[in-house]
Amino acid sequence: MTAKYILGIDLGTTNSVLSYAALDTEAADVKLLDIPQLVSASTIESRTSLPSFTYLGTVDEGRDGAFNLPWAEARTFAVGRFAQYRAAEAPDRTIGAAKSWLCHQRVDRRQPILPWNAPDEVDKISPVTASQVYLEHLVAAWEDAFPDAPISDQQVVLTVPASFDPVARELTREAATAAGLPAGFVLLEEPQAALYAWLATTGDDWRKMLKVNETVLVCDIGGGTTDLTLVRVTEEAGTLALERVAVGNHLLVGGDNMDLTLAHMVATEFDKQGVKLNPWQSVSLWHSCRAAKESLLEEGGPEKQSISVLGRGSKLIGGTVSVEVDRQSVANLLVDGFLPPCSAADRPQKQRASGFQEIGLPFESDPGITLHLAAFLAAHGESTGSSIFPTHVLFNGGVLKADTLRSRLLEVMRQWCEGNQPTNPLEGVHDLDHAVSRGAAYYGWAKDQGGMRIRGGVARSYYVGIETAGLAIPGAPRPLRALCVVPFGMEEGTQCDVPSGEVGLVLGEPVQFRFFSSAIRKSDRPSDVLNAWEEGELVESVPLEATLPADADVEDAHVPVTFQSRVTELGMLELWCVSTNTPGRWKLEFSVREETES
Amino acid sequence: MRIFQALSVFFQVLFNRDFASQVQQLGITPDPAAMKVEDAGKTPATLPKPKAPLRNDAITLLATLQREARFVDIVMEPLGDYSDAQVGAATRDVLRDCGQTLERLFAISPVVDAEEGASHETPADVDAARYRLTGNIEGEPPYRGQLVHHGWQATRCELPKWSGKNDAALIVAPVEIEIE
Repeated sequence: MTAKYILGIDLGTTNSVLSYAALDTEAADVKLLDIPQLVSASTIESRTSLPSFTYLGTVDEGRDGAFNLPWAEARTFAVGRFAQYRAAEAPDRTIGAAKSWLCHQRVDRRQPILPWNAPDEVDKISPVTASQVYLEHLVAAWEDAFPDAPISDQQVVLTVPASFDPVARELTREAATAAGLPAGFVLLEEPQAALYAWLATTGDDWRKMLKVNETVLVCDIGGGTTDLTLVRVTEEAGTLALERVAVGNHLLVGGDNMDLTLAHMVATEFDKQGVKLNPWQSVSLWHSCRAAKESLLEEGGPEKQSISVLGRGSKLIGGTVSVEVDRQSVANLLVDGFLPPCSAADRPQKQRASGFQEIGLPFESDPGITLHLAAFLAAHGESTGSSIFPTHVLFNGGVLKADTLRSRLLEVMRQWCEGNQPTNPLEGVHDLDHAVSRGAAYYGWAKDQGGMRIRGGVARSYYVGIETAGLAIPGAPRPLRALCVVPFGMEEGTQCDVPSGEVGLVLGEPVQFRFFSSAIRKSDRPSDVLNAWEEGELVESVPLEATLPADADVEDAHVPVTFQSRVTELGMLELWCVSTNTPGRWKLEFSVREETES
Repeated sequence: MRIFQALSVFFQVLFNRDFASQVQQLGITPDPAAMKVEDAGKTPATLPKPKAPLRNDAITLLATLQREARFVDIVMEPLGDYSDAQVGAATRDVLRDCGQTLERLFAISPVVDAEEGASHETPADVDAARYRLTGNIEGEPPYRGQLVHHGWQATRCELPKWSGKNDAALIVAPVEIEIE
C-alpha cells in the first residue's frame, strides 16, 4: 500500500508534537495532530503537544481503569499532561527529560534506571523504553484519528538534535522501531527541521531573501538543551541551494534553567519574608516564574510584576504569598546570566568538578549561551583564529518567544561582525513551539514531491582508536592513534572503504575499539591517521564492539580486517570490519553497557 | 390533509406520554410556541425524570478549571477576611490560567469583530440570540447603534472526556494527602 501521508514527529525533551501532510497535494498543507492524553485520572483531553513525561502509578491507582486511553486498557502508567502534573506531586514516580538521558554516556541507556533515584518498589524503565512509550502514544493517537492510514504504511520523519551522537541516534532508532514506526523512517536534525518550517512559510521567496555565500545560524534553545547549526547558501547549476556546514556540541542548558534561576531568586525573597516554601510550592513557583519571565522579558512588558505562590489547601487567598520583582533585575539575572555580552574571542569556563561527581545529567558548568555560541562560531571559521559571521539567524524554541532574549543575542552577534554584514533575523511567520515537527513534515513532503532539500551529510568526522604496536611499558598506556573512518560531510546512502594497515581480530572473543568524533576537523580523509591532536578536537564516544564467531575452518585465530563505513539513507552511521582473506564481514555495535563510575 | 395529521400528532404528544417519547426519539420536536397555551400549569408532573448520567459535562468543566486554575478554590473562599491586595495577588494567577483553559477548550472569540463604542449595524435578519438590542428600538432591521459589547462565542467545544466510576462522578477535586 502506498503512503497517503507524511508524518513529522518532534520527540522533544519536554514536549512531543506530531504534524502531518497529505502527499497527493499541489502544495504542502501541514497540520498538527490533536493528541488525546490523560490530564487527570480518568480524564482525557486532546492537545497539540504531548508533554514528554511518564508517571508510573501505584498498583491501586490504575486498578479501575483510571489510566485507560481510547486505545489502551488496564494501564499502570500515564503519559503526557497528567504525568507532567504528577512530576511536581510525586517526583519519585515520574520520568522527565528521558531524551537527555538518551545521550548521557555515563549510564547504560538500555537498563531500567528511570526515574533516577526512585524507590525500589517502582518498576523503573530505561531511557530507551521511555522514548518508545512517547512514540507509541503518538502512533496510537495517529491511528485513532486516521484508522484508514496505519502508520506502517505512511512515510515518517523523526527529528533528533543535530548534536546527537551516533549512539543516541541508534538508541532513538531502536525506540522508534519498537514503537511501530515503519522501518524506512528518516531521521532529520532538529535545527534543519526548523529551517524547513521557515522555508515552508516563505514558499519560494527565500531565494530573494538569501544570497550565495551567506550563512544562516539556527539557534534552537529548547527547555533543556541548546542546539546550534550553521547552514550556508551555495549555488548549484545556477540556482541557490542550502548546505548544512556545522553543528554544535550537545549543550545541556535551556529555558528550564532560566526559570529555575528566577525561581531561586524569588525563593530567596520569600525566605527574607520568613516564608519557607515546601516542594509543591517550589514547583508552583517555577510555573509562576516561567509566566513572569515571559511577560517581563517582552518588549513593552510591565515594569514590575508580583510573583505569587498560591496557598496549597482550599484556602487559596489566605495561603497565597507573593513578592514583587522588577523588570530590570529579572533582565539582569536572566539576560546577563544566560546571554552575557562577550567578545568573539571569549570562551565558556570549564569547571571540572573535583573528586566525586554525582552521576545524573551532566548540565553545562557555564550557562552562558553566548559564550558557547562564540566558541562554536570560532571552531567553524574559515581559518584558525577567525570566527565565522552568520549573516542571518533563525531563532527556534519556546524560550525565544521573549523579545529581550532575541534582541540580546542579535546585539551580541552584531558586535562580533567587525565590519562584516551585521546578522539579521530571518523574517517570516514563526511558530516556535511546533516548528520542528511542522518542518519535519514539510521536509518529508518536499522529499517526496521533489522540493527543496538542505544538503548536509554527517556533521562530524569519526575515528577508530588504534593502539600502536610496540613494547609495552609497564604503567604507561600504549600510545593511541586515531584512524579516520568517516569523513565530515559523508552523504546519506553512501559507503566508504577505509584503506588502512590491517588490524588483527581474534575470533570467538569480543573485540572493542575506542571511538572518537570531531566536529572541527573537517579535512581529514578516510584512512588518515592522527598521531596527536589538540585537547577538545576529538571527543570520545562509547566504544564499538563485535564478537566474531569462531570458525572451525580457519586455523589462525587472528583475522586481518579493514574497516568499511556506511551512512544509511535514514541517516544512521554503520561501521563494518571486513576480512581481507575470507568473505567475512562483521558489523560493529555501539557498546552502551559501559561500566558506570560509582 | 397534513394539517389534521399535524394536529393529531400535536394532541397525541400532549396527552399520550409514550407517543411523546417516541416522537422525541425520532428527533421531532413539535414547535414549543404552538404548545405554550395548553401547556401552562398542565406540565405532567408525574413524568418519571429521565435518569441523568451521573457524570455531567458541567462537572468535568468545573474539575478542569479547578485543576488548571484553582477556580473553585478561589470562588468558594469568603473574601471578607482579605485585603484587596491579597485578593489581587491570588487572582492574577487564577485568572491567567482560567483564560488559558477557556481558550484551549472553547477558543472564545468576539461575536462581531468591531471596536466597542463605535457605530455598528446589525444584519437584516437580526437574530435575538446573537444581538441584544437596547434603547429605543423602532422600525425594521437592520438596526444601527453604538456597539456596547462585542459578545463572546465559543469557536470550538472540546471538553475533556471522563471515564471514571459512578461513585466519583460528582468529585470536582480529589482530597490531597501528602505522605511524608
